[in-house]
Amino acid sequence: MDLSFVLLQFLTGLAYASSLFLLAVGLSLIFGALGIVNFAHGSFYMLGAYLLYWVVRGDPNGLWWGLVVVAALGFVIGAVTERLLLRPVYGRPEHYQILLTYALLLVIEDGVKLLFGAAYKSLGPPAALAVPVWVLGAPFPAYYFVQIALALGVALLLWVFLQRTRYGALVRAATQDREMLEALGVNVPRLLTVVFALGIGLATLGGAATLPMQTVSPGIAVEAVISAFIVVVVGGLGSVWGALLGAFLIGEIQAFGVLVLPEFSIAFVYLLMAVVLLVRPWGLLGRPPAVRT
Amino acid sequence: MKRWTLALAAALMVYGSGAFAAEPIKIGALYMLSGNFANYGTSSKQGVQLAVEEINAKGGILGRPVEVIFVDHGKPDQAVREAKRLILENKVNFLFGIDSSSVSLAVAPVADEYKVPLIVTHAATPRLTEMCLPYVFRTSNNARMDSWAAAAFAAKQPYKRWANIGPDYEFGRVSWEDFITRLKELKPDVEVVSEQWPKFGSSDYSSYITALMRAKPEAVFSALWGGDFVSFGKQAIPFGLFKTIKFYVNPTGGALQALEPLGKSAPEGLLVSARYWFLYPETEANKAFVKKFHDKFGAYPSYNAGEAYSGMMMLAAAIEKAGSISPDAVKAAFEADGGLKFESVEGLKWMRPADHQVFEDLVWGYTKHTDAYPFAILDPIVVVPAKDTIYPTKCAK
Repeated sequence: MDLSFVLLQFLTGLAYASSLFLLAVGLSLIFGALGIVNFAHGSFYMLGAYLLYWVVRGDPNGLWWGLVVVAALGFVIGAVTERLLLRPVYGRPEHYQILLTYALLLVIEDGVKLLFGAAYKSLGPPAALAVPVWVLGAPFPAYYFVQIALALGVALLLWVFLQRTRYGALVRAATQDREMLEALGVNVPRLLTVVFALGIGLATLGGAATLPMQTVSPGIAVEAVISAFIVVVVGGLGSVWGALLGAFLIGEIQAFGVLVLPEFSIAFVYLLMAVVLLVRPWGLLGRPPAVRT
Repeated sequence: MKRWTLALAAALMVYGSGAFAAEPIKIGALYMLSGNFANYGTSSKQGVQLAVEEINAKGGILGRPVEVIFVDHGKPDQAVREAKRLILENKVNFLFGIDSSSVSLAVAPVADEYKVPLIVTHAATPRLTEMCLPYVFRTSNNARMDSWAAAAFAAKQPYKRWANIGPDYEFGRVSWEDFITRLKELKPDVEVVSEQWPKFGSSDYSSYITALMRAKPEAVFSALWGGDFVSFGKQAIPFGLFKTIKFYVNPTGGALQALEPLGKSAPEGLLVSARYWFLYPETEANKAFVKKFHDKFGAYPSYNAGEAYSGMMMLAAAIEKAGSISPDAVKAAFEADGGLKFESVEGLKWMRPADHQVFEDLVWGYTKHTDAYPFAILDPIVVVPAKDTIYPTKCAK
């Protein structure tokens, strides 16, 4: 196997990992701070792609501002969803939250069908990026570098936010002990709204960013949420860096698995998940459940 | 004299409207109206709607109006329930349509059990008409004919290193199997260097594309269709796949549902097919059909819309010939005189009596961009004559 091909396949895996990271990181953040397993996460990811299709009105060159608008819209939609739908069920048993987010999944799926029709939609990459970039003599889609840069940028900003800002520290604290935070006078409900909105904003951004290279249809929501769960199970539910590691591993396993056993490449991903569940049930970078005293 | 003709016309009109009071011929149409491929089912439905509108405007079939009940066929088990409901509750005289191959295989035995003729206009697995069921008919060509036509083109090319990338389910597998078996018969020195089987409905094809390219094929066969073909195309173009290989052939790549979303980015020179292509044949009948369709729905008829329209018209012709809607009379009309020959907007369709499979000229072509359309069209068009697509059947007749 020559070096240029290995690099090419590595980059291909990285591009896939990038969209997986944007998809899964919000799921992990939300679970960490709110303790909610958001079944509708893939639906927001899908919604992001539809929103981009809608805001740019078929103009591929509108991608740049389109992504910003979609992420902002996603943030607002997330905030509204949290305030109106999730807040009332916080004190209730977990299955209320599961039912609620599952219902959201169905509502969003039927909603996009109503607004956009059931057929797939497509939007090309911006003209400047519709060309290959040469990597050691092999062509590689220029747009994938945008996706990779976007994911790395988001990861970096999240790191700065969580590790270097006061509000980020509060978010981290919320994953440890919400009651104590409340007792210290922090506006916890607002904090939870911000975290949920952030997670949804990232999901819509991630979904929108895939549109130039893919098609969007209502069916991708379920496929996406399953992929997101695999990523967080591998990486550790509740951990941002787990989502990054999980996405990276799965992207690369998919890319190189195709070379080894093309017919069963998907099986490798599930194999990884099974091994992680057996060896470290809380995920590679997750924390084992704390024993409360 | 003039007054006399007027009176006759009036009398005929009264007679005609009286006939419309007659019981309608009921047809249950099953199409994929929801889910990721709903754009296929919807355009099939439009083809049927236009055909029925025209039939009824001319006084119906045998003086009886046609009434169509559309249902979403969903997955095979749902389709079987819907078919039974149409037969038992709606008392339909015919079942019609079907987009998905697996659904067609599930519904066909039901139609046969209840002796309600089923006319299939889209589902393309060759296994359907190999079941030799007496009340099942297919008015469009099937995947084997497409694959064999592709193999005939491929055999004429100098390329020996072939690869496949296709959806991992019935249609994708059967298309490749038929293609490569046939190609090896025609040109024994071909070699398969890579087979890629992404999941049906995948969104990410990159790693399959790079793996395919690594095997350095000269030519690629691919039965990816619909959104799969669009996503694959969007990713394969910047990987330079279409520039590194010399020949790409796809039996469903000529669908408008694939070419329209790709727009001007679609590569030129791909050899693709659609079972019907709206710019062929250049007959008045076809031009009139395309115009009427475009006026009514604001879109060009896709291949399956054309097939649905022609299928309905062919069924109408069979019923007229039979002079009755009894299943046996219609079956006899389809089979008599060496099989019904029907001049459709697509051209001549011949129903082979033994297996109830229609044979017709197949339209292939090389993708090319023009100023007239915002998507690639087939230019030049290459037609495979019906006689070259006839394969042996084991059904007795």
